[in-house]
Amino acid sequence: MRDARTNIRDALYEAPGPRTRRLTAVGTALTLAALVVLIALVIRRFYEAGQLDSKYWALFAKYTTWRYIGKGLVGTVEAALMAGTLTFALGFTYMLLRISRLKAARAVGTALVEFTRGVPTLLFIYFFFLVVPQLGIKLSAFLKITLPVAISASGVVAEVLRSGVNAVPNGQREAAYSLGMRERSVFLKVVFPQAFRIVIPAMISELVIVLKDTTFAYVVSFPDLMQNAKVLISNYDSLLAVYLVVAVIYILINYLLNKASDFMARRRNQVKGAAAV
Amino acid sequence: MSAYAAEGQVPVIELRHVDKHFGDLHVLKDICLSVQRGEVVVIIGPSGSGKSTLCRTINRMETIDAGEILIDGVPLPEEGKDLAKLRAQIGMVFQSFNLFAHMNILENVTLGPTDVLKRPRKEAREEAMQLLKRVGVESQAHKVPAQLSGGQQQRVAIARSLAMHPKAILFDEPTSALDPEMIGEVLEVMTELAQEGMTMLVVTHEMNFARRVADRVIFMDDGSIVEEGTPEAFFENPQTERARNFLNSIKNH
Repeated sequence: MRDARTNIRDALYEAPGPRTRRLTAVGTALTLAALVVLIALVIRRFYEAGQLDSKYWALFAKYTTWRYIGKGLVGTVEAALMAGTLTFALGFTYMLLRISRLKAARAVGTALVEFTRGVPTLLFIYFFFLVVPQLGIKLSAFLKITLPVAISASGVVAEVLRSGVNAVPNGQREAAYSLGMRERSVFLKVVFPQAFRIVIPAMISELVIVLKDTTFAYVVSFPDLMQNAKVLISNYDSLLAVYLVVAVIYILINYLLNKASDFMARRRNQVKGAAAV
Repeated sequence: MSAYAAEGQVPVIELRHVDKHFGDLHVLKDICLSVQRGEVVVIIGPSGSGKSTLCRTINRMETIDAGEILIDGVPLPEEGKDLAKLRAQIGMVFQSFNLFAHMNILENVTLGPTDVLKRPRKEAREEAMQLLKRVGVESQAHKVPAQLSGGQQQRVAIARSLAMHPKAILFDEPTSALDPEMIGEVLEVMTELAQEGMTMLVVTHEMNFARRVADRVIFMDDGSIVEEGTPEAFFENPQTERARNFLNSIKNH
């Protein structure tokens, strides 16, 4: 089986002939050269502005800097895991409401999905940061960031899960019912496990969004990677250096998540591959 | 089998004046049909004749508009626990196999016994292995359905039905989705089942199977049962014009 990427390219373009191959080679060389020049220009600019001076970068030679970044990273991962779990629980609940037989339950589910999808994350955060304390409810900084981020993503997750449930072929349900299985068993043992496999890539994309949304943690002073970066900057006055390093860390985490998603999607395709005999 | 003898002539499956519409389409017209214990009834007819729909009404995969369906003399429940209980006693083999795609072969066969019949996992697995052996796919037990050929998948589907110890099995065009070279292996398993006394209702286009294995052939056209009889009588001497036309049309290729 060819991997997914070749398949997409094959779907977009026909097999190249000799002239196309030549043009492609020239085009590739030119764009690469342009890219190198561009990067060189940016670096020179930074150099001339003094941003590459060692005084801005010296902090990374210290163990304490890395320990502080590490602590922030742990905060980010904890917040993302918590928010991700909550998002899934909420999304699953809305999804159950939306596929309910009861019209009222479906209406509530739809309302929750539209509400959580429509309101920006920051607004939810301000709600938990400013309004909830006024109601006399004391939440930790951890909950003040994870709850709103989770709520904000939950509507999308509900819809992703529902699309997965709809994508499970009806024959799977029929086979389960024909064995005498009850509705709950059919859903939990046959339909949902397959639906979940179908939507894993979309769920991971959503987890990436949740992880990025946790950077709002600085609003509620929860020590995540972003918040700790801000503290480092105010202590060392090296804006570019710290943000660059932090950005690279975020990119690495999300790159790994997306790789995991690709891997699982490919495995699923292999399992599904011969299904359409 | 002998335990059932006392029940005498109560058919395992009985349909009385069943009617069904799909919108304006009258797909089942006053269907009366019964299948006795141990009997193999084959339903044939052109596509769109309603034979598949008929088969699917018996375990309520399709609802009916009017009439009655009786299983062992008891009306088919319309919902809930009772319906599920009844479905557990009637096996079904689908045209497109419908093996559970996320489970391996062994799990496919044990899900019914463990979830519905509440049998211990170990016991269910042992019996499942025997059934897989019986249909000749025991070496594939730990693969997922997509790794098997269509013929193998359908044999697993039959094993999955058998694991429930059904009173009867409904076969809804079990070989129609198969490549020609795989049809034989599935029909062979079905023939063995028939010889062992399984009650079977088979919707199929396999005329040779009908001829060899059926106790009774039912010919459907346009939502009605047009003709029924022994395979010899039906194939050698069809009584109706429509049956003759149908048999001629399939003889020509």
